[in-house]
Amino acid sequence: MADRTSFLGARIPAEVEIMAKHLKDLDKELFRKILKVVVNAVEGKDCRGTMKSLADNATLSEEQLSYIVAGIYRLLKEALRLPTSSLKQEVFKEDLRELRISEEFITDFASVVFGNRRAALEAAATQQGPRLPTIEDCRWRVDVAISTSSLARALQPSILMQLKLTDGSSHRLEVPVSKFQELRYNVALILKEMNDLEKRSVLKIQD
Amino acid sequence: MADVDSSKSLSGLLNGIAQKVYHNNPEITEELLKNELYPDLSQEEFHALHEKMKGLLKSIASADMDQAQLEAFLTAQTRKQGSGGVSGEQAAALSKFWKSQRARVRESLLGQSRWEPALRGLSWRVDLQTSASRGEPVNTPVAVVEVELGRTGEESEFVCMEFDEAKVNQVLKKMAEIQQSIDSIVQRS
Repeated sequence: MADRTSFLGARIPAEVEIMAKHLKDLDKELFRKILKVVVNAVEGKDCRGTMKSLADNATLSEEQLSYIVAGIYRLLKEALRLPTSSLKQEVFKEDLRELRISEEFITDFASVVFGNRRAALEAAATQQGPRLPTIEDCRWRVDVAISTSSLARALQPSILMQLKLTDGSSHRLEVPVSKFQELRYNVALILKEMNDLEKRSVLKIQD
Repeated sequence: MADVDSSKSLSGLLNGIAQKVYHNNPEITEELLKNELYPDLSQEEFHALHEKMKGLLKSIASADMDQAQLEAFLTAQTRKQGSGGVSGEQAAALSKFWKSQRARVRESLLGQSRWEPALRGLSWRVDLQTSASRGEPVNTPVAVVEVELGRTGEESEFVCMEFDEAKVNQVLKKMAEIQQSIDSIVQRS
């Protein structure tokens, strides 16, 4: 156990070390309140209001509160980065004991990192990661051009598509039938590739 | 030998007109066609020939004539007397040209009445996320798709999107619906 590096890294982040010192005389109820707010922040919720009321009502100085909040935030971030398969609960607790954090608080930390909230926290993390927009809504219409200024009898179907993306942008495009076939073929091919990829256990990345 | 040359010049002229009128090729001008194909004709004579062929092509193209319609049309034109008439050689050149170029010309004419940006191309790749700065990597494949859109004669615009498997499936279903809708129209007509 001795040569194992803490999940926080070889050098414990300063925020976490300072927090650990300030946790010593902290009231348990207050700690839980702060932890709850920080968990909300990790999930990407707006915590300005709750944080302010905490600061106004707490017996702590603003400085102490900021040390604790920053430390909890960093600790949770580091712990949640690691898959549960590589950071076991026992190891996590062990590492926190090294920092002389009291057993009660350790249990609370562990219940956040390994408890029911884990799935929600991971979902939030995926949401916040860098990503391209995806299609939010796709509307379509099939038109048949009967006659045009340059073609007396066109009788040509075409597809008008409107794509709304998750970044708020919207794109309208006309797709000639021949292009539509190409598009459909490619989308089907993508799906096949994705299915194949999932079947190929070689590419299942595990640690 | 003169016949071969003149039918070559005629088909060159028809192709030149098509490039200019239907495929927006700015390099082809009436003057260039005259100098390259009919250096011996006077300016007026060439202009008359050029206009006649352009007019005939326009009639054929805008009606999108099939083979039978074209034959009937050309027969009627060859019977015309005087300068408006079409010679047998010209009729043959028009027929030959139209046989090979009908689809392309039609596509270009349809494009002239398309104002929304059209889908020009599509490229994609499937990624597997392996690690991330935040949170546990999801370890599921992600499709990154880039579509190329553009109006006729304008530069392309590229839109990049990503899809998980469920999203791809959803889009594919939508496309099946569209296909069904097209099929129902095409069968009816």
